[in-house]
Order: sequence, then structure tokens, then C-alpha cells
Amino acid sequence: MTITDELQELYEQGLAAFKDATDPASLEAARVAWLGKKSALTSTLRGLGQLAADMRATVGQHANEVRGQLEEAYQQRKAALADAALAAKIQSGRLDVSLPGRSRPIGTQHLINAIADEVSEIFFGLGYRLAQGPEVEDDFHNFTALNHSPMHPARSASDTFYVRDLSEEAATFDGPEPSEVLMRTHTSPVQIRTMQASKPPIYIISPGKVYRRDIADPTHLPQFTQMEGLAVDEHLTFADLKGTLDYVVKKIFGEERSTRFRPHFFPFTEPSAEVDVSCEICHGAGCRFCKGTGWIEILGCGMVDPNVLVNVGIDPERYQGFAFGMGVERIAALRYDLPDIRLLIEGDMRFLRQF
Amino acid sequence: MRVSLNWLHELLPGLPLQKYSLAEFTSRLDLTGTGVEGVISSGQALGGVMVGQVLVRDKHPNADSLWLCQVDVGGAEPLQIVCGAQNFKAGDKVPVATVGATLPGGVTIKKSKLRGEVSCGMNCSARELGVGEDHDGILILPEDAPVGAPFAQYYGLADTILDLEITPNRPDCLSMRGIAREFGAIFETEPAPLPQPELHESGAPVAQAATVTIDEPELCPRYTARVIRNVKIGPSPAWLAARVEAAGARSIDNVVDITNLVMFETGQPLHAFDLDTITRDNEGRAAVIIRRAHDGEHVTTLDGQDRALITSNLLITDPAGPITLAGVMGAEHTEITEATTNIFLEAAVFDPETTSRTSRRLGLLSEASMRYERGVDRCYTPAALDRAAALMAEIAGGEVAPGIIDVYPGPYVAPRLTLRHERLTTLVGEEIPFDFCVESLGRLGLQPEPDPATRTIAVAIPAFRPDLEREVDLIEEVLRLWGMERITATLPGAQAHAGGLTRNQELERRIGEILRASGCNETMTVPFGDPADYAAFSREASTEAPFVELHNPMSSEQSILRESLLPNLLHSVAHNLAHGVSNVQLYEIGSVFRTAPGRKLPREQKRGCVVLTGAWHDARWNDPAVPLDFFDAKGIYENLIAALHIERAQFKPPATDDAYPWLQPGRAAEIRLGGNVVGVIGELHPSLLERFEIATPTTIFDFELDKFIKAAHDQLVLTAPSRYPSIMFDLALIVDASTTAESLTQRITSLGKKTPLASVELFDVYTGKGIDPGSKSLAFHLLYADPERTLSTEEVEAQHSRLVQTLLTQTGARLR
Repeated sequence: MTITDELQELYEQGLAAFKDATDPASLEAARVAWLGKKSALTSTLRGLGQLAADMRATVGQHANEVRGQLEEAYQQRKAALADAALAAKIQSGRLDVSLPGRSRPIGTQHLINAIADEVSEIFFGLGYRLAQGPEVEDDFHNFTALNHSPMHPARSASDTFYVRDLSEEAATFDGPEPSEVLMRTHTSPVQIRTMQASKPPIYIISPGKVYRRDIADPTHLPQFTQMEGLAVDEHLTFADLKGTLDYVVKKIFGEERSTRFRPHFFPFTEPSAEVDVSCEICHGAGCRFCKGTGWIEILGCGMVDPNVLVNVGIDPERYQGFAFGMGVERIAALRYDLPDIRLLIEGDMRFLRQF
Repeated sequence: MRVSLNWLHELLPGLPLQKYSLAEFTSRLDLTGTGVEGVISSGQALGGVMVGQVLVRDKHPNADSLWLCQVDVGGAEPLQIVCGAQNFKAGDKVPVATVGATLPGGVTIKKSKLRGEVSCGMNCSARELGVGEDHDGILILPEDAPVGAPFAQYYGLADTILDLEITPNRPDCLSMRGIAREFGAIFETEPAPLPQPELHESGAPVAQAATVTIDEPELCPRYTARVIRNVKIGPSPAWLAARVEAAGARSIDNVVDITNLVMFETGQPLHAFDLDTITRDNEGRAAVIIRRAHDGEHVTTLDGQDRALITSNLLITDPAGPITLAGVMGAEHTEITEATTNIFLEAAVFDPETTSRTSRRLGLLSEASMRYERGVDRCYTPAALDRAAALMAEIAGGEVAPGIIDVYPGPYVAPRLTLRHERLTTLVGEEIPFDFCVESLGRLGLQPEPDPATRTIAVAIPAFRPDLEREVDLIEEVLRLWGMERITATLPGAQAHAGGLTRNQELERRIGEILRASGCNETMTVPFGDPADYAAFSREASTEAPFVELHNPMSSEQSILRESLLPNLLHSVAHNLAHGVSNVQLYEIGSVFRTAPGRKLPREQKRGCVVLTGAWHDARWNDPAVPLDFFDAKGIYENLIAALHIERAQFKPPATDDAYPWLQPGRAAEIRLGGNVVGVIGELHPSLLERFEIATPTTIFDFELDKFIKAAHDQLVLTAPSRYPSIMFDLALIVDASTTAESLTQRITSLGKKTPLASVELFDVYTGKGIDPGSKSLAFHLLYADPERTLSTEEVEAQHSRLVQTLLTQTGARLR
């Protein structure tokens, strides 16, 4: 066999070995065997010096060509194996992406507080600030300063929670109710406290809990959440009250809704009105949801009664303003068609997690 | 207030009922301030009874006493009806019950055969229709009765009753008289004068029969009375019974029904006494005295109850004692009975507040007390009395004694008010025509005197409108009659005031956000508490530290105000567990209440409270369920501290286990800010959990909101991250089991102050195999970095090794 034939044979055998290699390890073994320091090809190249000078160049060139070709075959195979390995890895890495993700669930805000915050934000945009007051009040702030007559039925101990008064005044207190201290029945005392503490212009919104002696049932709770609004300034009018509440109601319930103002009576506003929003279901035509009226009562409002302004030392000839109060639970019930408002105070995770 | 439209129509003939649909009519009422709460249509029971005309009346072929009739009831064909009555002829108009109609007696009309002839209905008698007693023949209707009309409608049985919401400031609208005036103003039509009583007086004058003395003129500004003799108590005539029933009362007898009718008509409550039961004076006259109750006095009211009286109760008395709680309820022994023949009839005015307090204290609310507490028109009292007396004569056969007793210590002086037109415009925001103002006030009965020059209107306020006290009250009257809907809405511009939250309010919101971001769900519980719950927390009321007690709780479980958010939250946890929800992460932010001797209002404090039980979530395919414990609550606290940039918060176990007997010893810590305890974190004591029926370990984090808000910083001094490489060494130490991680960390940090040590982080705590009992292994990452340069490994190694040597010497720790 000539050396040329030998080289040819080495070439073919090496080629076959690379081709047969199916993984990086066998390919590496083949590389060592056919291209390594101890390979036949390397020996051949080392043995070139023993050849006749005229042969040396030819054979050397040939041997280097073989080496180059084998090297290229090796590199190709290596790349092919790498590609295959990557493809296999990708294939095996396919996921059932429908499986649930991994997370710690973030918490939820209580529906009522979320609505109170949302409504507050609307008023912040109109230049109102947030005001808060105590939940246990005295008769003066809750009733008297708000122009409630001494025998106003809301004062009745069947409607209002009374709290034991531990001051010395309790001994001499002589009223039809058990005490002068009570759980506030509305957020309106915040009006009084705000007007006592600051001078007009006053623009406040005051969300908070209020209490009335109702037995808890699907539509009543002894506790609910009210949002009180008060604006006192030099030129505020009934038209401004209408404009403000119409704007706010549309923001809460949707631009397509409309409002109507029905004259009503509240001790602390004059003139007073109740405000209805057009029924979401029938848009005013009348349906079962709105009891055929086309309208749903949503809040009470009015121009601040001059007696209230006088009670807090504001001149009613110089300043006038308006006040309003809305029930947050009412908004929630309308939005979510709540089947039972006791859900709001049970702390049932299955309920809370929905918001 | 129930208002019969038939009745109202008599008082207000111009009421444009035809002009509006019922919906439009009630909507107009709603929009002028009289809320319509319900509409009841009556007279529908006679459905299927029509006005018919007898076209043919032939002898029944098989029965002498029966007639075979052809009756037109407005249908395409006349009906054949067999009829046994003898009082009618062809051409007569009669009520016909058609097939399917049900009569008041319960009979339903069917198609039938009578002696071989088909009968498709029934001609009815007055009694069969429940409109009278006559049953001798069928009811013959006037010739002009419209054939085919529903009988109930034609006969005036059909009525519409409006259930009106009368606001407490409008006592006048608690009467048909007032409603007619109000509706007249709304619909711009004049009321008819009320029925004028024709009074025929006879017998001895009233002055010989009774005397009235008012001891308390402030509480009884007017007392009028009449005496009616020889009354026959009996059932009311149908029209009277129907009227009082339309107004929502039950028909009792003729005298009671008359007093009710006149009250509904005029708004003046009346009380009828049996004259012969009133104790006489020396001259034989029934001696009526209006006075306050004496201490210890009792009265048996006509509901049979014995009532203990107090001195603020106003009484109608005779020399023997109370005969009525003024304006509230009569005494049993002076009540009208079937045997009564002589009546002392009272129409009086009592102080609203006194009546209200008495009726509320005794739980006796009635149509009369409701009117008294809102205010009765003292100018109309004699007129109402005369109307009732006349009716008693007419209906009950009574003889009205000549004269009227009228004791009137508080004559009405009409207040005068002036409405400035300009003021109205300023308040409303838009001009309402001056003439409209004048006209409206006139229709309301205020006798306006306009002065066009000054654009003012002077009015005299009648006694029936005690709510009109100020100019602004007149503005409201004009505005509501003009229509609030006609005022153009304007949105005021925000001038010289800006909206939004204060920093503290923003931080309060932020705290809620952090708790939610940490995985907690906000809830809301009631502010009440159960003393038994607090006992489980070892909190018993004492003289120095009483609970905030309610006078009138809904139940003993809600008899105090909460001192902590925790008990009610634990009830919520139990509620979840009982409903199969085992992972609970709740928080609440709310007020708690404490008081002390001498305090009027309790001290309110806003707190936040987190409760955790179960795991963050159930085991998942790739995420095991890790039971929530102390460190989950502490993690939430750490989030809070970090996000609020609170520095120098101290987190330490309580000094003794007794400090929090409701927490599990060794699994509790106090949070201090500025030396004061502002919160606590811990796992609840198993025995407490048992009381709340919670079976799984539960961890809480309870804190005082304002203290966290106060300690919050807007921003800390920024530390720029180093741009140079850092070098990290791990250090595992074996220390005594009682050594805290915090103390070791602090020691390392302190030793590292002279080195480029940038941070120390505990990454492993190990006890068990290879570690002696009583010891533990704590392992830390120590990160060295210099913000200015690249550190060389050699210098850091040297510094680290010196640090470790010193540490071991100082602490007695060993390298692991």
C-alpha cells in the first residue's frame, strides 16, 4: 500500500468515525483517535522526514489536506451535534403553559374602603380635602349643632347607640335619652368640628363609619359608611350644589346616568333635597330594579342651614354653602347587586378576595 | 299619610287628575317635596261587574217567577241572563256580574242553566255587591249610567290611595286640609272650603256640664271642649267607615270614627271621654284640670296597662286623678263604651316636646301623638271641634250642648317674615320671577304683601306652618314649587383652595397598600365587643379601667366598644375556618376605644391588626404550602418599616411571658418606637385559640397606626451602589443556643467598621446533627466593598481574618 493509499484510508476511516459519533463524548474520542497527537495521521506526518525528499513535499501536502478535511468534518459534526443537543434540550423543555403560575397572592382592599377612596379622589379633583372625626360623639356635635330639635326622633334610644358618660356631668344630666354621649349616627358632626376649627373657604369630604340600632339582616347593619361633603364659601349656590353632585354621580356611576333633585327635609340644610340617579337597568323608564320609578335614591343634600353656620360662628349673610351625605354601602349594593350586606363585615376570604 | 284621591278631589276640585297619568302626577309630587311611597288602587274586587242595560225582559218558559233577559254589557252580543228579581223592567240600567266575576260574598259567577235556559251572568243587588243593605231587588242605576263601564269605577268604589312620605317639618300635611292646600300650590288650583258644620245646639249649656282649668299654660296653650248628650254608640255608616279605612285606620264605632275622620280631615286630634265617668266639682260639673303628673302617680291606660308617671308627663285629670295622658292615650275608666250616652269631646293643643317625650318614654306612638309632636294648628281647634260635634249629632243622634269651652292661654301671634328676592337669587344661583314667588307664597296660605320697589315680600306665618321660621324657609318653598329641576347646574371653580390628602392621610393609605402588597386582605368588623372575649385576653373591667359601655346594646355580645381589633378579627378567622377556608390573611385598620373615670368621650385610637393562619396558599404543583408563623408576621412588619423608612424601631421579646398572657411564650415580640411599645407580634396562645374555636396556629401583628405614621420618613439618605467589584466571605459560627442572631450581627457589623465591610446577612440557622445540644450554628454572608476603588483579595482576606479572630475571642463562638 502506498503512503497515498494509506492517507486515503485514514481519511475515510476518520470521516466514518466522526460520522458515527452520536454524542460529544464519542466525537471527542474520535477526534483524539483520528486527529490527536497519537493518531495515525499525526504519526504519518511525523514520519515524513524519513521519506525521500522528492516524495516529502507531495505526501506532506496530501497529508495536510487530509488533516484539514478531517478537521473540517470534525467541526461540522461537532456543530451538528451541538445543534441537535440544543434542539433536544429545547424539545424537552417544552411546558404546559396552562399550568398555574407561582406567586404569593397580593392582598385586596375592602370594597367599602375602595369605593370611599375612589369617591374621595373625585372630590380631591374638585379641590376638597379629607376630614375625619371621632366615631363616639356628643349630642352637641351630632344633633344640637346640626339644628336637630330636642325631640328629633333620631335621638331616640331605640335608634341611636348611647355610650356611658363617665364625667361628672353625667350625674346632673337630665334628658329623655340615657346619655349625652353616643355613637355618631352620621358623618355630619365632622362638618361642625371642621367649621369650628377652620374658617371658610371650607371644602371637605369625610368618609367614615356611622352607627344606628338596626338588627343585622340582608339589607341592614348596625354600622355603615357615609361620605359627608361640606363646602362653605362666599358665593356657593344651589346651582353649584346641583352641578357638583351631578358631576360626582356621573363619575361614580357613568357619564350616561342622570340625576334628579327632589325637595326633602333635613334639619341641617335648607333648602334640602334627595338626589336620585337614573336607573342603570331601564334608564329612567321604570323597571323592577328601581321599583318602577326609573330612579334610585342615592344621597341627601342641601344648602347649609343658617342656624348651623351661626352655631359655629360663621356669618350666614356673608358665607353660604352646601352639604351632602351618601351611603357607601348603597353605592356598593347598586354596583355589585350585593345579595346580603352582612358579607361586608364577616371577613369571609371568599368574598374579600374578589375585589 | 294615606291620601284618598276621591276624598282629595272633594276638597280640591281643580286637581287635574285627568291631565296627567298617575306616574306623571306622582312624579310631580316627588319633585315638589311630597314623596310618594306607594300607590294603592282599591275597588278592584268587583272586577267583571259591569254597568249593563236590560234590552229584553221575557217570562222564563219553565218558571213563573223567573225572567229571561237579554242584557247589553257593552260587548258585541247581549248576554242572556236568568233573573229572579221583580223590581226591574226592560231599559233599566243594572249592575251585571259577568262570567268569572267574584262578588264580595265569595261567589264566582259561572255560565249555568236555570230550568233549562242558559244564564251568562247575574244582575246584582246592592247587598250582593257590598255597597248597601238592600236585597229586595236588583240595584237600578240612573239612566245616564254608561253601559259597559266597570261598575266599581262608575259607582265611585274605585279609589286611588297615595301613601305619602310627610317630612317631620310639615305637620300641616298630616291632614286632608293641608294636603289640599299643598297640592293646590303644586298644581296651581284653589281648594274648596271645608264642609261647614250645621250645628243645632240643645239642652243645658256646656258651662253647666263641665269646666276646664289649665295649670300648665306653657304645655297646653289651648284647650277646647264640647259636650254632646244622648249619643247612640253604634257602627258607622258605610261612607264613614270607608273614609277612615282609606286613611289607614280601622273602623271602630261611630264616635271613634268621627274623631278619626276629623283628625284626618283637619289635622286636629280629638279625644272623646264618657262625660259621666269624669268626677264632678261641688256644682256638679265635670271638672277637668290640665296639670303635670305628681311623683308616684299611676294611670291605667285604655290598653289595660298600668303606667307609672313622672312629673314631666302632662295629664288631663279630674279631681280623682288622671283621665288622659295628654295627647298620648286615654285612661281606661273614662273610655267610650257601648253604654256611653254623654260625651265630653276634647280638641286641644299640647306642647310638642312634652307629648313627644311622654309617648316615646312609654312607647305609645299613635296618629294623635305623631301630630302633637310635630305641632297642631291652634287656630283651627274650635272649627275641628264643631265639625266633630255636628257629625255626632247627625250620625250618632247626639244633642250638642250649647256653647264651647275654650281656654286659650297662649293665643297665636303670627310671626312676620320678609323674603328678599335678591337673597333668593343669591342662594339659588338663578333668578325665579318675583311674581311667581308672590303667587306661590299666596297659594301656601301666607298672605304675601309684595313690595316691588324693594323687591321684597312680607308674609304672615299661619299657625299651621311652624316650620317657616326664617327667610331661607321661604326660599325653599319658592324653589321647590318652581322646581329644582329647572335650576341650571353649575360646577363651581376651585378658587383659593386645593384638594387632596395631608401627608399623614397619605401615609395611612400607604400603610394599607403595604399590608396588601404583603398579602393581607382588608376586612371590616363592627366596633362592638363582648366582655367575655376580653376576659379571654385577661382583660377585666375595673373602676380605674372600665370598658366603654353602651347603654342600649343590640346584645350582650356587643355591649361594649372594642379596645382591640383582635377579638372580632378572630371571630372572622373562625368564620372562615368553619366554612372550609383554611388560609386566612386578614387585616383591619380601625378605631378602638378606651375610657377612664371622669372622661366624657372615650379616647379613640386608630390601630392596624393583621391575623394570619394556615398558609399563604394551598400546596400547588410547584409551590408547597408553608405554614404561616411568627416570621411571616414579622416579614410584614419589616416591609412596613422599610417602606415607611422608619429608623430605630426596636423589636424585642417582652420582658416577661406574663406581659402578654394571650400570646404563646417565646413566640412573641414587642415593637418599640422612641422607647414606647407601639405594637406586638406573636403567635396566639393555644388556650386563647380554643376559646375562639380556631384549630390552627394563628399569628397576629397589632400596631398603633399613628405612631408608625409619626415615625415615617419621606426619604432616607441615598447610598449609591458601588461601581467596583465586591468580595464576599461566608462565616459559619457555632454559638450558645441563647445567643440571638441580632446580637451576633451587631457585633460583626461593629467589628467591621474599620474594614470595608458593607453588609452582614444571616443566611442559615442550623441545629441538629454535628452540633452539640445547647448550641446552634449561624451562618452569615459578609460582603466587603469600597465605593471608591477595587479591593485586592489579599487585603480583604487579611482584614476578614482579623475580624473573625477578634469575634471568636470576644464572643466565645467557634468556627464550624
